Amino acid sequence: MIDIQLIGLFNATLQAATLLFIAALGELITEKSGILNLGVEGMISVGAVTGFMTAVNTENIFLAVLVGVLSSSAFASIHALVTVVLKQDQTVSGLILTILGLALSSLLGKNYVGKKLVTKLEGVTSVTDPSSILEVLISQNIIFYLAVLLMFITSFVLKHTMFGRRLEAVGEDSRSSDSMGLKVAKTQFIATCVGGAFAGLSGVYLTLSYVPYWTDNMTSGRGWIALALVIFGGWKPYRTALGALLFGFLEALVPRLQTYGFELSPYIVKITPYVITILVLVILTIYKGGKTGAPKNIGVPFFRENR
Amino acid sequence: MNNLKLFKRQSINELSTFYSFLIGFVIAIFIGSIILLVQDKNPIDTFSLMLRLSVGSINSLSSSLNKAIPLILAGLGISIMNSVKLWNIGAEGQIFLGAIAVNYLYINTQFNSPTLHIFVLLIAGFVGGSLCILIPAITKVVFGVNEIITTLLTNYIVFGITIFLINGPWKDPKSLNFPAAAYVGEEVFLPTIFGKLSFGFLICILFTALAHYLKNKSVFGFEMRIAGGSALTAVYAGINARQKAFIAMLIGGGFAGLAGAIELLSQTHRVSTGISQGFGYTAIIVAAITGMRPLGIFLVGCLFGALSIGGSVIQTIGVSAYISDIIQASTLFGALIIQFFFTYQIKKVEND
Amino acid sequence: MKQYILEAKNISKSFGNVRALEDVNFYLEKGIIHGLLGENGAGKSSLMNVLSGIYQPEKGSIFVNNIKQTNLNPEYASELGIGMVHQEFRLIESFSIQDNLTLSKSNIYRDDFKNAFEKYSEIFSLSVNPEKTISELSVGEKQKIEIMKLIFNNSSIMLLDEPTAVLTPQETDQLKNSLKRLSEEDEKTIVLISHKLKEIREFTETVFVMKNGEMVAENLLTENVTDNNLIELMMGHIKKSVIDKSNKVGDAKLNIKSVEYVDKVNNYKLLDNINFEIKAGEILGIAGVSGNGQVELANIISGIQVDYSGEIFINGQDVSGKGVKSRKKLNLSYIPENRLGVGLAPGVSILDNSIVKDYFKTRRGPHLSKTKTKTYLENLINTFSIKAPDSKAEISTLSGGNMQKLLMGRELISKPEVIIASQPTRGLDVNAVEAIHNLLVDQRDGGSAILLISEDLDELFKLSNRLLVMYEGKIIKSFDIDNADINNVGLAMAGVIE
Repeated sequence: MIDIQLIGLFNATLQAATLLFIAALGELITEKSGILNLGVEGMISVGAVTGFMTAVNTENIFLAVLVGVLSSSAFASIHALVTVVLKQDQTVSGLILTILGLALSSLLGKNYVGKKLVTKLEGVTSVTDPSSILEVLISQNIIFYLAVLLMFITSFVLKHTMFGRRLEAVGEDSRSSDSMGLKVAKTQFIATCVGGAFAGLSGVYLTLSYVPYWTDNMTSGRGWIALALVIFGGWKPYRTALGALLFGFLEALVPRLQTYGFELSPYIVKITPYVITILVLVILTIYKGGKTGAPKNIGVPFFRENR
Repeated sequence: MNNLKLFKRQSINELSTFYSFLIGFVIAIFIGSIILLVQDKNPIDTFSLMLRLSVGSINSLSSSLNKAIPLILAGLGISIMNSVKLWNIGAEGQIFLGAIAVNYLYINTQFNSPTLHIFVLLIAGFVGGSLCILIPAITKVVFGVNEIITTLLTNYIVFGITIFLINGPWKDPKSLNFPAAAYVGEEVFLPTIFGKLSFGFLICILFTALAHYLKNKSVFGFEMRIAGGSALTAVYAGINARQKAFIAMLIGGGFAGLAGAIELLSQTHRVSTGISQGFGYTAIIVAAITGMRPLGIFLVGCLFGALSIGGSVIQTIGVSAYISDIIQASTLFGALIIQFFFTYQIKKVEND
Repeated sequence: MKQYILEAKNISKSFGNVRALEDVNFYLEKGIIHGLLGENGAGKSSLMNVLSGIYQPEKGSIFVNNIKQTNLNPEYASELGIGMVHQEFRLIESFSIQDNLTLSKSNIYRDDFKNAFEKYSEIFSLSVNPEKTISELSVGEKQKIEIMKLIFNNSSIMLLDEPTAVLTPQETDQLKNSLKRLSEEDEKTIVLISHKLKEIREFTETVFVMKNGEMVAENLLTENVTDNNLIELMMGHIKKSVIDKSNKVGDAKLNIKSVEYVDKVNNYKLLDNINFEIKAGEILGIAGVSGNGQVELANIISGIQVDYSGEIFINGQDVSGKGVKSRKKLNLSYIPENRLGVGLAPGVSILDNSIVKDYFKTRRGPHLSKTKTKTYLENLINTFSIKAPDSKAEISTLSGGNMQKLLMGRELISKPEVIIASQPTRGLDVNAVEAIHNLLVDQRDGGSAILLISEDLDELFKLSNRLLVMYEGKIIKSFDIDNADINNVGLAMAGVIE
């Protein structure tokens, strides 16, 4: 018989990890094409609030997910416009996307703070109080399974399809890709919008399932952790998933620490994921001798006639 | 037949950043107006109210300029680091750690002269900010770890430490349910110059001049530019690029830390989560929009300070304070879009 | 009238104030190897970039198979069957050979990759596994993959921009045979760009000649023209000046004693037992195909690379353990091969770049005097006749020649004792080359000891007093210039010493 608290911890870990992972996977796709988007936090926030608003107003959960994903993707297209089409600095544009996204979602969600959802995303099976690992695994909501599926699909597409190889080629060496006749700008634009859509999915998971309500700045830095996860995972979907589980575990562990009899301040435990990320980054950089797996052209705007 | 093609301009107008900013600001005001109209608010009335309440009187003007101080100082720190092509996303955390350092020193030391005391506390703020960026600086210089991520993560770490301190060891029992540290004594309050304008504004002017000198007129600034332009050229020229980057990071963090010290000593008078309201992030917009020019950062900092005050006071008529955030962010987006037209040229190509 | 597979009429293209192409005509016949001859900077690469859709011309029209092309971009050009091999490889280093050969949308052998790869491996005498990543290949192998990429992308018109520059004479021979077979068996139309007469003569059937952005000869039958004809067309009326080498030679200024440098990652000797000395008033040339240790040698002498063994003396002083600055203080100048990126910092102003060498000599405290630096730059601009209208502008707004003059001027103005000049004229036009050569000879006559590293044998023979050949990190042969035979030098460059 496994400890019921451990089951709870496992469940919470999976949910926290799902949230982080989807956003990280989206950013991974964007970065593979050579575009760095620091606006993940803003995009999650936009997806979260638009999804929540739709759910409250229409009570149609499917429509809510769709609106969250699409609006976040549209929001990401601002970054694509500024960096891919207009070739401006990716760092600046991404940061502003975060600031704008947070402000915009607070503005939009002003009248929705404290509102209750009538329908939220329910688990796919009727198990509401899982008491075994298996029950935890079969009682998640649809987005969890979608995330797992997306992990396999992304990995497969990147490694084994022409589209994926071309996407990666553009991010590795846009000049060579261009001379091979690949459409650099189009690929990067699509990858950025796909990254936005994934962030939006993560956002609706947040407001329609994880903490089913809306409040200002409720993303609370998860977008930034997603960015760190991409680096942690060496730009590989499976390793990123592993990283997400680790971070999800820490997030789930914090509120449970005292029940396990640890006398640590919860405020200090809360910062451990951030400390660990820095440590992991340092270890990865030392261990891999600088080869962290980053796409070579990341952050470099492409202009064909640059001599 | 004629086709439109993109060409890179050979020379870029020197004032392009300024024009981009202006047009970007107009675009942002336009976007702000649309948002206000959607909320059934008259944009002209709202903006004129914002203007009146942010610069219309000595009191409001001085609050606006007080608000500008952290934006300018953190912005200057970001621009100094940008000379070596490094990003400081951690100004928010550096502001907090600056304030924490001030409070730590205040609790643990005694001074007879209040002037000297304030002076020492301000230095503590600078050192606190530098300490905050120390780990990102070491990991960047020694191992080459991306500083964007590490400076950003330190924000969350420092914010966690702040919450820990004001809920735990430093919690003021008198503040009841609101977690905050005890107030510092009045003897270390920064004096005011006129109205509510803090002495910190003079420090701000001094540091703007200092940053301008450092970036544009000093040998160190030159060495930073070369190191930022090409690491290989730096090695070739015998410039220690890592050392310059390290020093630039410590100075950049210090500037933001000083902002935290001034906030503590002139505005909040105690450590709480209100030490910074996202100043470190807004400062990035301020620095980026001016093309990292110290004098520009000073002016845009003042404008954005006024916008923030304007934004917070119009909440009373039911307009979200986020309108000023949106205007600030849209200004930069607008400016980036305009900057494209200064860098590139769309020409007709004759085919015959 | 002849049928042309590709015709370009009245093409003009400029970069800022620099006119790269002026009213150029160019036309190709199917199944034939064409030569495009011209000095460095004559506009050959620019023309090829226009034909492959990378550069947009301001004027002119292009016909492919008699159909006018109004909207040529790289993707469309490759659909039309125009493919180009650039001087720098356009291969994705971290990808496998197979990926590189099949990524393009116009690829025709995706389903039948194995057979096609075998077939063309035979034609190119290549024996590697297609699963290998590009970064594991040798330069010669990469060149073959580059050309093969065009075939896989169904290019019927293959533009090859100086494909032999990185090859040994043996590999060049191999390439000649492969290209002949491609034009005969597959009816490929090939353009071979070169500034080497011998190659044009051996590879091509017809030849075009460019000079200063203009086409000075069109579609000459190679067998009907003489070397002298071509040289005259290529160089115009500028006569190749002969350098007087009877100047006075003084004491040794630079001594290199048993220098060794090991690549620690691969445990491979990049430099092996290098010994030489250069006297005042002497130019010592180093010949060799690039990548045989020349860059490492220059970096070690200048103090950039520090983890080597052996001894280095400048003016009799042992500087083996010293850094860049102390060597500069002994008046050593280094003109690096990589102009923009090493010698000059991109993204930084012309003014800042002009003071990189000497700023620390004149500094007083922390202050960098604007007036002093401006005077310094003005002096450089006047002395070396550099065209740089706006000192605050970014360095890359200068033309290649002016960039190099600024770099050389900066390094030479303080009358250096020792000069290391690495590929000082690469990619420059004839006049700029002449100016740079004169600068170096002036320095020699002033008593500098000069180490000239170059791939251009003409340049080495023209300027050097003595010649060393580097091959795989060793000096495998040395020549006195009066007794040197260009063929023997060429053989030594390929590692052959009899």
